[in-house]
Amino acid sequence: MSTIAPSPSYPFLPAVWKLIRLRLQISLNGFKHTRTIRKILTIVAVIGLLAFAGMILFLSWLLLNFLRSPQLTQYVGMDVTPFLQAMPVLIFTALFLGILLSSFGVLLQALYLSGDMDFLLSSPVPIRAVFVTKLLQAVLPNFGLIALFGLPVLYGLGLAGHYNILYYPLVLLTMIALALAAAGLSALLVMLVARVFPARRAAEILGFIGAILAFTCSQAGNLYNSFGHSTNVSGAQVSNMFTLLMRFNTPWLPLNWAGQGLVAMGEGRWLTGILMVLLTLGLSAVAFMFSLATAERWYYSGWAGMQVVARKKKPLRTVRPTTTGEASRLGQISRGIPLLGMARLLPAPVRGILWKDFLLLRRDLRNLSQLISPLIFGVVYSVMLFHTGGQLPAGQGQAPDWLMNSFRTLLSYGNIGMSLFVGWWLLGRLSGMAFSSEGKNYWMLKAAPVRAGHLLMAKFLVAYLPTLALGLLFLIGISILQKIPIAGFLYSLIAVAMSLAGMNGILLAFGTAGANFKWEDPRKMSAGSLGCLGQFLTMLSLPLVFGLFIGPLWLVSAFNWPQVYGYLAGVILGVGVTGTCTFLPPWLVRGKVEHLDEA
Amino acid sequence: MPELALIEARNLVKRYGDKMAVDNVSLEVHGGEVFGFLGPNGAGKTTTIKMIVGLLQPTSGTVKVAGYDVQTQPLLAKASSGYVPDTPNLYAKLTGRELLRFVGDLYNLDRKQAAQRADELLRMFDLTAAADDTVDSYSHGMQQKASLASALMHDPKVLVLDEPTVGLDPKSARLIKDILRQMAERGAAVFLSTHILEIAERMCDRIGIINKGKLVAVGTMNELRSLAKVGEVSLEDIFLGLTGGAEEAEIAEILK
Repeated sequence: MSTIAPSPSYPFLPAVWKLIRLRLQISLNGFKHTRTIRKILTIVAVIGLLAFAGMILFLSWLLLNFLRSPQLTQYVGMDVTPFLQAMPVLIFTALFLGILLSSFGVLLQALYLSGDMDFLLSSPVPIRAVFVTKLLQAVLPNFGLIALFGLPVLYGLGLAGHYNILYYPLVLLTMIALALAAAGLSALLVMLVARVFPARRAAEILGFIGAILAFTCSQAGNLYNSFGHSTNVSGAQVSNMFTLLMRFNTPWLPLNWAGQGLVAMGEGRWLTGILMVLLTLGLSAVAFMFSLATAERWYYSGWAGMQVVARKKKPLRTVRPTTTGEASRLGQISRGIPLLGMARLLPAPVRGILWKDFLLLRRDLRNLSQLISPLIFGVVYSVMLFHTGGQLPAGQGQAPDWLMNSFRTLLSYGNIGMSLFVGWWLLGRLSGMAFSSEGKNYWMLKAAPVRAGHLLMAKFLVAYLPTLALGLLFLIGISILQKIPIAGFLYSLIAVAMSLAGMNGILLAFGTAGANFKWEDPRKMSAGSLGCLGQFLTMLSLPLVFGLFIGPLWLVSAFNWPQVYGYLAGVILGVGVTGTCTFLPPWLVRGKVEHLDEA
Repeated sequence: MPELALIEARNLVKRYGDKMAVDNVSLEVHGGEVFGFLGPNGAGKTTTIKMIVGLLQPTSGTVKVAGYDVQTQPLLAKASSGYVPDTPNLYAKLTGRELLRFVGDLYNLDRKQAAQRADELLRMFDLTAAADDTVDSYSHGMQQKASLASALMHDPKVLVLDEPTVGLDPKSARLIKDILRQMAERGAAVFLSTHILEIAERMCDRIGIINKGKLVAVGTMNELRSLAKVGEVSLEDIFLGLTGGAEEAEIAEILK
């Protein structure tokens, strides 16, 4: 072959379109080859989302009409029209900041850690095209979510205010422009971070901090309310809130220009409107183009640098002594700690899997964030429990004594309920995903001479031991603060230990039957697995288990019988049922373990 | 030829729905023998290997490893074999040393012996300096070596390797070839699949060629030549002749 083919040119926009089309093709293929039930569920979900957006539009229209009503003006003591005009400003600000912040983690994943980067960057595709496609891919879900809530409200505002027809397409255009600008700036931040820190570690740390912060914030509201802050809002408070929001709507903030401009255009103030909307669109375009131009320089070098960082030879360490030291040191340690000493009674493979799983749980921050959430939840609700002092609301004093006594009994065992709930949450992750968490490494366990029973035992203990420890921690703490008598505490101890074991057995069985080993992203580990069903069923069984242990106590309290009968009946009923749940479900799936990951 | 068959596959069939991945494969690998398993992409090599090491249940047929039926005596069969997969999927957040210790536990090795064996293997594979780094910081070649070290932890009688030299530098590839030869000399059976025909030709005592799920030829190089009814030709020619790749080779020649 002596002829040389002319070098092809690779224009930017067709390249972007090719990459987007590829992504659409992948999504379409995924939909085509999925099971019928999933197809139906997807279609139902899409219709549901559209209906939801329609409902928000309708409600916004109603609400905004109400906000314009003279009765409200009279109640609040001020005209709320300026607040209504500030609403687009608020929504656009939320959109911009929301995408700027929420895109960071997604963009880090899409730009640096996705599996197709080697392929794309080695292809003759402009780097800008890869960057833009990844940007769109990462931002679309967040944009969709914000638009789902924001767009109907903005359109509702237009309908309620009889705005000009131009308002509606411009709202959408402005939203897109601001979203792209925010995503571009977020991508710049990502590229900056990726030049300093290894992207993978940055993503892990970010995910951990994000999860903990989100969860803490969500629970902080509950804690705030429990300290007696009323949720009833007075007219003065509403008025203050409106004033605060309107103060935010100043003309010198560029983020406000979009909203103010759109309202001006809607109301027919053309000059102001066109000027502000054009300014917004222009600035957005500049921000986006700047990120695009910078991406040309930073993206490839950052990505290439990441490859070097990942494979960088670490400095030589002093080689640890190769003697039998490690084993004997472990032996000494385990003799010193009774629990570790007991671990030596376990078969070696079980011990090995326990040790390996605990190491991996501790080292992978993505796991750690899921494990810390129940802890935060438990602490918040325990504080709330203590704050109320475990006292029943007095009501109008018309309830019979036997009913009040019964409720008091139930409340005094709130420690069990709290421990069980925290434990259930933790077990959902540890036990329900016990096998799925092995992922592509499962071959190591499967090719080794490990009995199915030992594998199940190991996975059971990996989930049970930390959950029991956490559950007991809460139980002891709450019991001390509630001054529960020793007999009650011991009974609670049995109830918690056995109930957690029972739930663990059920969750492990479901997690085994529906184990999913084909995941790249740990967040998708539970996709399509029966583990979720197990978690749902055990959640439903929580009141039943609680009732089995506490029911007899409630009965003896209601009928003034000796409490020992209640304890005895509770132990027989509760231990019988939870004991069966501990052993029976894993026993039923033991045959399945030998053939996992063969589909 | 040693007499003891350490790998014995009889009428092995694996079907995925309508697709026949492995079709009635029977073969034996004896102690002291290095057996090369060749075939085009998608011919059924990895499926056969996975059935030998107990990762897949055959649709029908039996596999015995060290005399133990993989389906009815899986623990004994697995305890006798070591496996190196084509992709070294190892626990990324364990260090190399921890990984070997974990494997020692899985194979029920004594802790002290396992620690010593791990050190020996780490030294042998030139991984001592990285022994306390997590596996996710290893290069592909280092992960491949860690995977082989894991397979050798319990000194198996049967070693099954799926493309063991992919991604290795010449020095590491040579090391692996030497190790496999040494293992065979000590009486172990080595079963390896490879696409590098030169390795198969030089290293293997016998070669099996699989195509479209069927074992189309088994034997020494001389036996394969006589089977293909050709004279002093290379394994590549025999392979292409048996797997129908001769036409593609001609096209490739024209394109040169």
